Amino acid sequence: MDSTQISRFSLFITVFSCILAFSFGDNSSSTDAHWLLRIKSKLVDPAGVLQSWSLRAHICSWNGLTCSHDEAFVIALNLSASTLSGSIPTELWNLVSLQTLDLSLNLITGSIPPEIGLLRNLRTLILFANNLSGKIPTEIGLLKKLQVLRIGDNMLAAQIPPSIGNLTELRVLGLAYCQLNGSIPAEIGNLKNLVFLDLQHNSLSGFIPAEIHNCEELQNFAASNNMLDGEIPASIGKLKSLQILNLANNSLSGPIPPEISGLSNLQYLNLLGNRLNGEIPWELNHLVQLQKLDLSSNNLSGTINLLNIHLQNLQVVVFSNNALTGSIPSNFCLKNSNLQQLFLAQNKLSGGFPLGLLNCSSLQQLDLSNNNLEGELPPTIDKLEKLTDLLLNNNSFNGSLPPEIGNMSNLENLYLFDNMITGSIPVEIGKLQSLSTIYLYDNQMSGSIPMELTNCASLTAIDFFGNHFSGSIPETIGKLKDLVLLQLRQNDLSGPIPPSLGYCKKLQQLALADNKLSGSLPATFRFLSQLSTITLYNNSFEGPLPYSLYSIRNLKIINFSHNKFSGTILPLTGSNSLTALDLTNNSFSGSIPSRLAISTNLGRLRLANNLLNGSIPSELGRLKELIFLDLSFNNLTGEVPSQLSTCQKLQHLLLNDNHFTGKMPSWLGSLQDLGELHLSSNNFQGQVPAELGNCSRLLKLSLHTNNLSGQIPHEIGQLTSLNVLNLQRNNLSGSIPPTIQQCKKLYELRLSENLLSGPIPSEIGKLTELQVILDLSRNLLSGEIPSSLGDLLKLERLNLSFNRLGGELPSSLGQLTSLVMLNLSNNHLRGQLSSTFSGFPPTSFSGNDKLCGPPLTSCMDSAGHENNILSSTAVVCIIVAIVFTSTVICLVMIYMMLRMWCNMREVLISNSSEGGGNGIEQIKREDQERWMYGDEKKRKGEYWRVMSSMAFVPSQNHDDHISSSCIFQVKMDTKKLGI
Amino acid sequence: MAPLSVISLSLCFLLPLLSPAISTNSEGNALHALRRRLSDPTNVLQSWDPTLVNPCTWFHVTCDSNNHVIRLDLGNSNISGTLGPELAQLQHLQYLELYKNDISGEIPKELGNLKNLVGLDLYGNRFQGEIPKSFSGLKSLRFLRLNNNNLTGSIPRELTALSNLKVFDVSNNDLCGTIPVDGPFGMFSMPSYANNMRLNGPELKGLVPYNFGC
Repeated sequence: MDSTQISRFSLFITVFSCILAFSFGDNSSSTDAHWLLRIKSKLVDPAGVLQSWSLRAHICSWNGLTCSHDEAFVIALNLSASTLSGSIPTELWNLVSLQTLDLSLNLITGSIPPEIGLLRNLRTLILFANNLSGKIPTEIGLLKKLQVLRIGDNMLAAQIPPSIGNLTELRVLGLAYCQLNGSIPAEIGNLKNLVFLDLQHNSLSGFIPAEIHNCEELQNFAASNNMLDGEIPASIGKLKSLQILNLANNSLSGPIPPEISGLSNLQYLNLLGNRLNGEIPWELNHLVQLQKLDLSSNNLSGTINLLNIHLQNLQVVVFSNNALTGSIPSNFCLKNSNLQQLFLAQNKLSGGFPLGLLNCSSLQQLDLSNNNLEGELPPTIDKLEKLTDLLLNNNSFNGSLPPEIGNMSNLENLYLFDNMITGSIPVEIGKLQSLSTIYLYDNQMSGSIPMELTNCASLTAIDFFGNHFSGSIPETIGKLKDLVLLQLRQNDLSGPIPPSLGYCKKLQQLALADNKLSGSLPATFRFLSQLSTITLYNNSFEGPLPYSLYSIRNLKIINFSHNKFSGTILPLTGSNSLTALDLTNNSFSGSIPSRLAISTNLGRLRLANNLLNGSIPSELGRLKELIFLDLSFNNLTGEVPSQLSTCQKLQHLLLNDNHFTGKMPSWLGSLQDLGELHLSSNNFQGQVPAELGNCSRLLKLSLHTNNLSGQIPHEIGQLTSLNVLNLQRNNLSGSIPPTIQQCKKLYELRLSENLLSGPIPSEIGKLTELQVILDLSRNLLSGEIPSSLGDLLKLERLNLSFNRLGGELPSSLGQLTSLVMLNLSNNHLRGQLSSTFSGFPPTSFSGNDKLCGPPLTSCMDSAGHENNILSSTAVVCIIVAIVFTSTVICLVMIYMMLRMWCNMREVLISNSSEGGGNGIEQIKREDQERWMYGDEKKRKGEYWRVMSSMAFVPSQNHDDHISSSCIFQVKMDTKKLGI
Repeated sequence: MAPLSVISLSLCFLLPLLSPAISTNSEGNALHALRRRLSDPTNVLQSWDPTLVNPCTWFHVTCDSNNHVIRLDLGNSNISGTLGPELAQLQHLQYLELYKNDISGEIPKELGNLKNLVGLDLYGNRFQGEIPKSFSGLKSLRFLRLNNNNLTGSIPRELTALSNLKVFDVSNNDLCGTIPVDGPFGMFSMPSYANNMRLNGPELKGLVPYNFGC
C-alpha cells in the first residue's frame, strides 16, 4: 500500500511539474537543467560522466545531452555504458521533450516506473543491459511515437503487456534476455512498421501468434530459447521481408510448414532444438537467399532433398541429430557452391561416402559422424581442398585411408575413429602441415606408424588406440613440439620408447599401455614437465627408472603395472598431485617412500607384487583420500602403523603375503567403508579384533595363514554383507560362534586348520547362500554333523575332514544336490552311507572306522546281519530279477497293447533303443534308482496331482492319463533292466 | 539487450569429440551398461568406476589372474531393472549370482553365449518370458536356478544337451508343457518343477505333444 501511495504522490508531483514546465514556455531548457541536476544527484556516478553537468556550462554542452536546434529543449539523453547505478530517477519524467533516452549498459536497478508513459515524445527508449526488475509497465503503450524500444538483458519478469500493440510506429522491439513469461501477445500483429523483433532467452510459452504475419516489414524475428510450443504458423510465410528467423531451442512441434518457402528474402533460418517432425520440405529449395540453415536436434525424418544447386548462397547447413535417412543427393553441389559448413552428424544416413559432396569445393567443415555410412573413402576426397575438419567417426567405413588425403593441405582435424578402416597410414599424411588432431582409434589399421607423421608439425593430439599398428614408435616423434596427447594403447608396437619423445615438451597425456614395448624409460622424460597422465601397463619395460623423473611435478596418474621395472620407486614421487599410482607386478625394490604422502589427493596406491621391503611409512596416514591401498605380495615387515586409521575412506586394504607382525590392529574396525580386507599370509598374532564387527560393509575378509589365536569373536555376526570369510590356518580355538548365521550373504566360508572345538553349530544351516565351499576341516570339532547342513542346497564343496565328528551321517545331507566335492574323512562317523553318497570317491569317507556301504566296502564286512540280507548276493539278485522281469513283462504287454491302440509304434522303437542303454555313468544310474525306489510313492502321488490339476484335460481322457503314468514307470524299469 | 547472435550456429558439434578414447575394456563396459539398467537404492554398485582400466577392483566383481571377470555376486542386493545383451561380453564368467532381487523383463538370450558359465542363479526375481533356448549353449553349466520368477512357456528341450547340468530348479514359475526326460533331466526330482500349474509331468515322447497345454 505504501509504495502505491508513494507512486501516486510522485505521479501528482510529475503532473504538477509538467504543468509548470509548460507554463515556463521558453524557459524550459533552464527548467530541464534544474531537473537534470536533481537527476545527477540521484544517480551513483563512480566514473564521473556527469561531471560536466553544472550550471557553469550551458546545458546543451553537458555530457550525454542533445538539445533541439534552438537549444530550447533537451531532446536526447544518452548515458550508455557509464557505470551508473541507482534507480531511474523520478525527475526524468519532467523531461517531456525527450525524444531519445538511452541508459543502456549501466547498473541501474529497480523497476521501469509506469510514469515512463509521460514521456510522450519519446521515439527511442533504450534501457538494455541493466539490472532492472519488475514488469514492463502497461503505460509503455502510451508512448505512441516510439520507434525503438530496447529494454532486454534485464531481470524483467511477468508478461509482455498487450498494450505494446499500441506502439504502431515501432520499428525495433528488443526484449531478449529477460525472464518474461506468458505468451507472445497477439497484438504484436498491430506493429505494422516492425522491422526487428527480438524475444530470445525468456520464458515465453504458448503458440507463436498467427497475427505475426501482419508485421509485413519484419526483417528479423528471433524468439529462440523460450518455451514456445505448438506448430510454426503457416502464415509466417507471408513475411516477405524476413531475413532472419530464429526459433531455436523451443518446444515447437509438427512439420516445418512448406509455406516457409514464401520467405523469399530469408538469409538465416534456425529451428534447432525443437520437436519438429516430418520431412524437410522440398520447398526450402525456394529460399534462394538462404545463407545459414540449422534444423539440428529435431525429429526430422526422410531423406535430404535440399539441393545446393538451388541454394547457391548457402554457407552453413546443420541437420545433425535428427532421424534423416538415405544418402545425400548426388547432384547436391555445383562447382560454384558457397557451402562452407555441412553438419549431418547423428542421423541414420546410409550408403557410401556421398560423392555428391565432392563438388562442394568451398567446404571447410564436414561432419558425417554417427551415421550408418559404409564403404571406402573415395580417393577423390582431396577435391575438398579447403576442408579443415573432416569428421567421419562412428560409421562403418572400411577399406584403407586413401593416400590422396595428403593433398588436403588445410586439414586440421581428422576424426575417423570407430569405423572399420584397415590398411596402414599413408606416408602422404606427412604433407598435412596444418593437421592438429588425428583420431584413428577403434579401427583395424595395421602396419607401422610412418615416420612421415612426425612432419605434421602442428599435431597436438594423436589417438591410435585399439588398432593393430606394429613396429616401433617413430624415432623422430620429438619433432612434434606441440603434441599434448599421444595415445597408442592397445596395439602391437614393439621396441623402446624413442628418447626424442622427451622433447614433446607440451605432452600432457601419454598412453602406451597394452603393447609389446620394451627397454627402459629414456632420461629425456625429465623434460615432460606438463605430463599429467602416463600409462605404460602391460608392456615389457625394464630397468630402474631414471632418477630425473622426479622433476616431473604435475603427474596425476601413473600406471606402470605389469612390466619388469626394477629399482626404487622414489623417482615417481616428485609430484604432489598424484591421484593414482599403480606399479603392480614389477620388480621394484627398496622401501615405500614416505614422500608419497605429499600427494594428499592420492586415491589409489597399488604396489603389489614387487620386492618392496621395510615397513609401511606412518606418513601414509596423511592420505585422507586413499580408497585403495594394495601392498600385497611384497617383503614388508613390522607392524601396520596405527596412523593408517585416519585413512577413513579406505575401501580396499590388501596387505596379504608380506611379513607383517604384531597384533591385528583393532582400529581396522573404524574403517566404515572397508569392503575388502586381506591380511592373510603374514605373521599377525593375538586375537581377531572384535571391532572388525563394525565394518558392516565388509564383503571379503581374509585373515588366513597367520598366528591368530583365541576365539572367533561373536561380533563376526555383525558383518551382514560378508561374502567371503577365510580364517583358515591360524590357531583359533573355542567353538564356532552361532552368530555366524547372521552373515547371510556368505558364499565362501573357510575355518579349516585351526583348533576349533565343540560341535558344529546347527545355525550354519541358515547360511543358505553358501556355495563355493564350507571348509571346517582339520579342527577339533566333535559331536554329530547337524542335519541342518542339508539346507545348504547351493553348496558345492563340503570339507569336514580331520575332526572328531561322530554319530551317523544325517540323511538330510542327501539333499545336497549341488555338491561336487565332499570330504568327511578321518572322523568318527559310523553307520551306513545312503545311496546318494555312492557317487563320491571312497576317500571322501575313509578314516571313519564304522562307516560302510558304497563307495566304501559293503556293510556285511563291517557288521550287522541286516546288511547281509540287503547285500547283493546272487540269490537276492535272482529273486529281484524274477520279480522285476515278470512285472516288466506284464507291463510291457500292457504297454504294447496301449501302443497298438494308440497307433504309435515308432515311439516304442525309440524307447526301447534308448532303454537298451549306451553306457550311462554310475552316478546317473544311482539317481535313476533313487528316482524309482526312494521317492517312488511320493512322486507318483505328485504326478497324479499334476495330472489331475490339468483343468484343460477332458474328463473322458482320464484313463489315458493313468496309463501314461504307467508307461513312464515302465520305461524306467526297462532302463533298469538294460543296465 | 544483447545483439542478435547471427552466428549462433553450433560449432559445438565439434567440441564433444575433442576428447580421446578412454577405454575399450569390454567387460567393464558390459558391467557398466548393466549398472545403467539397474536401479540401485542401496548403492551396492557405487564402486563401479568405468574409468578404471578393468572392473576387477569393483565390489561384487571377481576376476581371475588374467583380469577376466569370473564372478558377479549381486544376490540379495535390492536391485531392480532389467538385464541386457551386453552381459554376453563377460566371456569368462563362471558364476552369475543375481538371485533374490527385483529384476524384471526377459532373460536375455545372449546369456547363452557364456561358454564358461558354471552357475546361473536368477531365482527370486520377477523375470518374465521364456527360458531362452540359447541356454543350450551353456556347455559348462552345472547349476541353473530360475525358480521363483514369472517365467512362462515350456522348458526348452534344447536344455537336454547340457550334459554337465547337475541342479535345475524352475519351481514357482508359470511354465507349461511337459518335462524333458533325456540327458541330465533324468535325474532331477519333482521339487525342481513344483508350482508350475500348467506343467504336465514328464515328456511322453510321441504320446503327448511336448508343449502340451502351452
